[in-house]
Amino acid sequence: MRYVRYTYPVARTAYTAGRTVWDGLDHEVNRLFQTVATSLGSNSAFPVDVYNDKENVFVRAELPGVDREALNVEITDDQLTISASRKDPANADSTAESLSRTITVPEPVQGEKVTAVYQDGVLTVTLPKVEAVKPRKVSVTVN
Amino acid sequence: MALLTSLLPSFVREPAVTEAETDTIRPLYQVQELEDAYKVTTQLPGVTKERLTITDEDGTLTIRGERSWKQPSEWSPVYRETAQSAFALSLYHDNVIDADKAQAELKDGVLTLSLPKSEARKPRKIAIG
Repeated sequence: MRYVRYTYPVARTAYTAGRTVWDGLDHEVNRLFQTVATSLGSNSAFPVDVYNDKENVFVRAELPGVDREALNVEITDDQLTISASRKDPANADSTAESLSRTITVPEPVQGEKVTAVYQDGVLTVTLPKVEAVKPRKVSVTVN
Repeated sequence: MALLTSLLPSFVREPAVTEAETDTIRPLYQVQELEDAYKVTTQLPGVTKERLTITDEDGTLTIRGERSWKQPSEWSPVYRETAQSAFALSLYHDNVIDADKAQAELKDGVLTLSLPKSEARKPRKIAIG
């Protein structure tokens, strides 16, 4: 299992006066690595946040402009898979790019009670935690 | 010390401005040229209409959007990849567009801007008298 962290594409600052030659070199080197990093990560990955409260585990995924019908959330044991597809806005005839990510849910959850809401390009998945086994008092009558 | 700093100017040099210090995120965007307009598509997840501002000034179009969702107090983060920073994008267009006729649509975190080309910049035929 390998985690590939999502990194935001970073704003590229324009070359400004008053910086030394070395700053320019630094900038170019950074830019080179950034290009490599973003070209690998930006297509199929999307950022995911995991939150926790007393009763639920929440997973929020940023998926702007995806097709609602193709949005799919699956859970098997502790693996939550979110898959979606997105059409290129510039070319309506193109095949949709598919996005998918699998994350490990940090706590045992009730798989059949999972709900998901998609709003403003953000998918929120609510996973109710398994209720803790309560200690039961058993009274035994002794004859 | 004064002698040392004069010999080694790097001791007093200001640290280089790094990209990590900027407090806004540049969103993913795409610019497409159509026959009579430019189409700008920007991904702004979690941004609502109320928190989005689009301004056009001195030949620069600026899009700024803030996420409307706030983490409820009882939620505690386990793993985070997103940032709370606002999205900001500045596009320099040198007045090739007619900003008064611009149209914007925000749907599912995707902003689609239609920027008609300005009349003055359209190609025209000059008749020879």
